[in-house]
This record gives sequence, structure tokens and C-alpha cells, in this order.
Amino acid sequence: MKFRTLLGVAAILALTGVSAPAADKDAADIAVEAAKKYAGTTISIVWEAGLQSLDPLNYSGPKWEKLTGIKVKVVEVPTDQMFTKIMQDFKSGAGAYDALNVIPSWMPDLARAGALEPLDKYVDKFGYRDELQDIAAAYRDNQMQYDGKIFGFPDDGDVMLLYYRKDIFEDPKMKEGFKAKFGYELAPPKDWKQLDDIGQFITDKMAPKVYGAGFFRTAPYPQYMFQERFRMEGGKFFNADTMKSTVNSDVGLKVFKQMLAENKFMPPGVEQWNFVDNLAAFLQGTTAMTISWPPYGRWAAGYGSGEEALKWVPKSQVAGKVGYALTPLGRPELGVGFDLSVSATSKNKEAAYLFIQWLNSKKTSLERVQLPYTLRDPFRLSHYASEKYRALWPDAPAYLDTIKTSGEKGLLDLSLLQQDKYDEAMTKAISSLWAGEDPKTILDRMAQQFDAITEKVGIENQKAVYKVWAAKPGAYPQ
Amino acid sequence: MTFSLSFNGTEHRRPSRLGRVLEDRLPYLIVAPAILVLLLVGLFPLIYSLIVSFQRITMTDNDTSFAGLLNYAELFRDTRLWASLGHTAIITAIALPLELLIGFLMAQLFIDRMPGRQLFVALLVLPTVISPIVAGATWRLLFDVRFGPIGEILSFFAGEPIRILWTVNPAYVYPAIIICEVWQWSPFMFLLLLAALSNVDQSQLEAAEIDGASYLRVLRAIILPAIAPVIAVACLIRGLDLVRIFDIIWALTEGGPGSMTETISLYTYVQGFSQFETSYTAAISFLVIALLTLITTLVLKRMEIAR
Repeated sequence: MKFRTLLGVAAILALTGVSAPAADKDAADIAVEAAKKYAGTTISIVWEAGLQSLDPLNYSGPKWEKLTGIKVKVVEVPTDQMFTKIMQDFKSGAGAYDALNVIPSWMPDLARAGALEPLDKYVDKFGYRDELQDIAAAYRDNQMQYDGKIFGFPDDGDVMLLYYRKDIFEDPKMKEGFKAKFGYELAPPKDWKQLDDIGQFITDKMAPKVYGAGFFRTAPYPQYMFQERFRMEGGKFFNADTMKSTVNSDVGLKVFKQMLAENKFMPPGVEQWNFVDNLAAFLQGTTAMTISWPPYGRWAAGYGSGEEALKWVPKSQVAGKVGYALTPLGRPELGVGFDLSVSATSKNKEAAYLFIQWLNSKKTSLERVQLPYTLRDPFRLSHYASEKYRALWPDAPAYLDTIKTSGEKGLLDLSLLQQDKYDEAMTKAISSLWAGEDPKTILDRMAQQFDAITEKVGIENQKAVYKVWAAKPGAYPQ
Repeated sequence: MTFSLSFNGTEHRRPSRLGRVLEDRLPYLIVAPAILVLLLVGLFPLIYSLIVSFQRITMTDNDTSFAGLLNYAELFRDTRLWASLGHTAIITAIALPLELLIGFLMAQLFIDRMPGRQLFVALLVLPTVISPIVAGATWRLLFDVRFGPIGEILSFFAGEPIRILWTVNPAYVYPAIIICEVWQWSPFMFLLLLAALSNVDQSQLEAAEIDGASYLRVLRAIILPAIAPVIAVACLIRGLDLVRIFDIIWALTEGGPGSMTETISLYTYVQGFSQFETSYTAAISFLVIALLTLITTLVLKRMEIAR
């Protein structure tokens, strides 16, 4: 009996001893070990040009080469050309790109065309499935798969946040005056009516020094705001049975009219504001509220202000005065985002896969989302909980908590076949709205354009894709 | 090797058959590589595009099956296409006469010798050497509602803040494009017309002056007929450029607001490289080729008649 017990213990110890190194290894280490056999090769990766590319150029690319001996060639492409370049490479069969950054709403088009390599077999081979569970559900469940297969790893926690000036919102005189006028407390707006009340009130009291709010208004940004508001007010993009567009409904009209009216309490010329104009105005303290992606929050807090690459960002005059909240109605748009994928025409698929697994892994991605000069935002549960990240500036815990909640409640971008065409129709429509054209006429034209695109794609084809998209929890508010 | 006797009795070596063939064909052989290259880079893409225009290729669907006249029929249903042609026509119809007029007035100003003339001419021609996309981006900054000097200057003269959304307000977006276009390309007209005016027969001008003819009479009877061929060529060159206008508008408005300033080149670009309607874009390009050929032929014919 004793002998058998000893034998059993010995066997357990032996097994534990054998498996211990494997259990200790995380996905990043596994990728590095497996990639060493490709030392000396070069892999190329398509990355959004500009700040985003500084991650692989300055940090992850050189580090990967040091760890594995694999060189990384970064192909910088402007966002609006990324889809084209990826498709051109795929169609020509050139295989110029090994790994890709893919905007999730493109996934149906790219996957159906065969331009993306299915990743399931690699995920299993290199033990990555467990770490995928750490990716926030909003991204993991909605931006990773198409038709049941993994085509990309969600790698950027894009979501819209409301930023507001705590010093103004907490000013006793402002609070008192606001309550006297509107009968409720001055606080981050819960709905768009409240945002309009607050925006107008602050503009009336403080302009031209400070305006109530400022939003980016030039293409393509406001279409994400429209998508969110339209659905939160009860709008549906299509009749699911006929696939006829319903964007020109009363809800669409209401949202368009509200969006247009809001320009009146924003700084003059807001119709021309892009990402940087809006950022500059908020950081300089000219606007009391804005809605944007997470980098605004980091830069407003002054994080990374000493970085050479961030010299173009105006010095924040509002550090320590910024509060973070959910956008009005509480279901913010998960605008854009990025997945890491492998090109189906790559000649180094496994090496490319290992690189993206390493990039996306818990360990490496935590470092990457803290790089002050890139635009990658936290997207893993471990990022939100990271003590290191939460200590980066005094309000970082509130910032991370808001991102986490926003991600959990986030609404997905519309994602259909040839989505770029629907996006273009929305972008043009909003541009016409700022130009003063009748909102109803614009919406009717947008609906016609939607219908024409759907017809061209094929009503039944598109209906099937829309059905899958609309069934996702983040597609429409329940 | 054979020999023949010439009329003056000297002996000439008669070339061999191969030599005669080479001699006959030599000019063709010399130009053949250049023609081959031209065919490869010019004719082949043209023919290939024509073939593509009868197929159903999109970026996501490589369907090379014969589509008949499907894409060409679609051209007639595409309201955005015809609107973009209309926008192109508006810009051409306004910018071309303005450039011609300003170029002519500048040439008249600089026809007489004056101190520093060459320096001024060189400075005035500077805008034409700038890339149009840079010109558009520069004017976008100049028109900016918050930081642009144009708003500041207008506000100074008006005595109150003037905030014009040049690239958003439908009333100002065409003037903005035309100001930029005319600023960049009037100097081109100026250069051509300055050269043409310099070659007007001085004796005729002096005779007219002695006869007491008014400036308008001299202009109508002597100057314009003398420089008419140059004006026609200048208008043809600039007219074709204006039909293809892309960069300035892309930098200033990207075709907006909505599609209000979208020209045919912008629309073709969007269809081809943003929406990937490859076959349809090929059909659009053939429509443009047909229109340009028609316009060019009419202008050339008119020039022929005038001559």
C-alpha cells in the first residue's frame, strides 16, 4: 500500500515536473519560443500610418527581433487606404503582406473574399485560446470571428467616452444656477436633452472663453455618433424582412435635427473640426464637454506630454480637471477598432501568426496599451485591472473603469458586405447636414443610396449578413 | 558585290540586298523600340480597360464573365455621375475664362519693359510650380475659420468678426475652389499670352496708333487676331486640365459638402479606389475619354476654321 502510494506520489510529481515549464509559459513566451525557428526571416505587417505605427516601429518590432531574430517590416498605410491595399495584395496574389491590421467592420468582406487566414488551427497549436478569454467580451464576441471562425484578434479597445470638465461641473455657482434654471443637478448628461441643456447653459455663462461642448464634425467621425444615437433613440438601419433602409424614419430625422441644433452652442466653425481640432479645443480648455476615443483622456491628463512623438498634441491646460463618463443614454459606439490578422497570401503564415499572438498576448499587449505615443486602447480585463496602469496618473482608475463599462455596454459599428459604401453614404449625408440642406431630403437620399448598395450586393446575401450582425448583443439596444 | 556607273561616270558601290532592306527599314527599326514602349504603356492599358469595362470585376468579386453593355447602361442611371460631370462643367466654365482674362491683363501689364520685370514675372509664375495638392492644402489653411488669415482680413475691413465656413457653406464652397484654381493657373495663361503679345507685329500697332485707333479697336482688330491661335491652345490645355481637376478639390473639400463639389475625376477615383467597382470605373473612364475626344475635336476643328 505504502509502495503504491509512493509510486502514485512519484508519478504525480514526475508529471507535474514535466508539465510545469509548459504551464508556466504564457502565450507570449510560447510564441517567442516557437518563432525562433524562423530567425533570419522578415515579416511585413500593415499598420495604420502615423502614431499607431510607432508601436511596431519603436517598440514591438525591435523587441520581437531581439527575442526571435525575425525582422518586422512595417508597411504604413493611411486608414482610408488600408482596405484597398489589403485587397489589392490579395487579388494580385503578390503576398507582400504577412500580418494585417483590420478594422472589424471590414471582416465580412475580407473573410468572404478569402483575404484573411482562419486562425483557429494556430490558436490551438500555440495554446492561445485561454488568453483570448481575457479580451473584453464586447470585442471578443463581436470583433473576432466571422461565420464561426477566428479571423483576427481584437487589439484595440476603441469606444467613445464622454469627457467633461469637473471644475466647471463642480463649481458651486454653476451648480446653483443650473439647478435653478433646469430643476435638476449639473452632472454628466444622462441623455441628449440633458447634454443640450448643459451645453447651452455653459456657453451662455462662459463663452467665448469656454463653450458648452465641442465634437468632431468632419468625415468620417460624426457617422459613429449618428449610428449610436440613431439606435439608442430606437432606430433600425433596415427592415430585416425586406432589407429596405429605414434610416429616413422619424427617429433619423430627430437625431439629425438634434445634431444640427447642437452646433449652435459649440464654438464657431465646429462644422470643420476634425480629430485634432476637437482635441486641441478640449485640451486648451475651450470646451467643457466632448466625446471621443480613449486617447483624449490620457492626453488630457498630461500622460506622455514629454514624448517627442506627441509634440503636436497641445499642452493640456485641463490636467486633473477632467471627468470621464458614459455617453448620453449609456450605450457608446465601439467606433472603428483594430484586429490583428494574417494575410491568406502570406508566404510566412506561421511566423506572422506567432508575431500577432505575441503582440496580442496579455503580457505584451499590457505594455503596448501603455505606450503614450500610440493609439492602442485597453481591451483586456487584465488591462483594466492592471495596478501599473491604474497608477499612471491620479484619475487613471476612473478612466479605466469608464472604459471598461463603456466597452461592456458598447454598440457595434454597422458591419455588412461592402460596408465602406454604407459608411460613405452616411458620411456624405452628415456633411450635407452641416451645409444646411433639409434633413429629411438628406435622409431620404441616404436611404435610397443604402437600398441601391443592398440591391447591388444582393438582397438575400446582405439579409443573411445583417441577420447575423443584428443578432449580436451589441448591435441594437435590447 | 556589284558596281554601277553613275551619270557623271564615277563608280558607286551598289548595296547588297540585305543592305537595301536595312536601308529601307532603318527608320522603322530606329523608332520601333519607342513605339513598342508607347504601345505597352499606352495602348495596352487602354485596350485592357476596354475589356474590363465589359466584365463584372469588383474588388471583392473577380468575375471576368462578359457583362455586355451592363456597365455602360448603368452610366445613364447613375445620377451622381452626371452631377459630377455638371460640377466639372461649372468649375471649367467659370475658372477658364477667369484665368484667361487675368492672364491676359497680367500679360498686358508686363508687356512693356519696366525695372524688375523679370523678377516680377518669375515671382508671379511661382504658383504654377507648386503641386496642386499643396496649393489646395495651403488654401484650406488660409480659409480656416479660426486660424485663417482670410477671415482676419475680412473681419478687419468689416469692423466685426466675419466667420465664413468656406469649405462647408454651399454659397462659398465653389468660390473657394475657383479662387484657388485661378490663383494657381492664371500665371500659366499669363506666360503664354505674354509670349504671344511680344510677337504681335509692332509696325501694325504703331500704324494704328498714328491713325488714332482706340485701344479697344486695336485690341479687337490687331492684338486678338494675332494671339488667337495661342489663346486657343492655352484654352485647350487648361480646359482639359480643368476637366481632370482633382487635387485642389480633394485637398479643399474632398468633394463635399455631401457630393456638392465632386467632379468627374473625384467620382472616378471614389468608384475605382474606394468602392472598388473596377469594371464600372473602366466604363466611366471610357465615357470621359469619349467626352474629351469630342471636345478636343470640336475645338481643333474650330481652330482649323479660324485659320
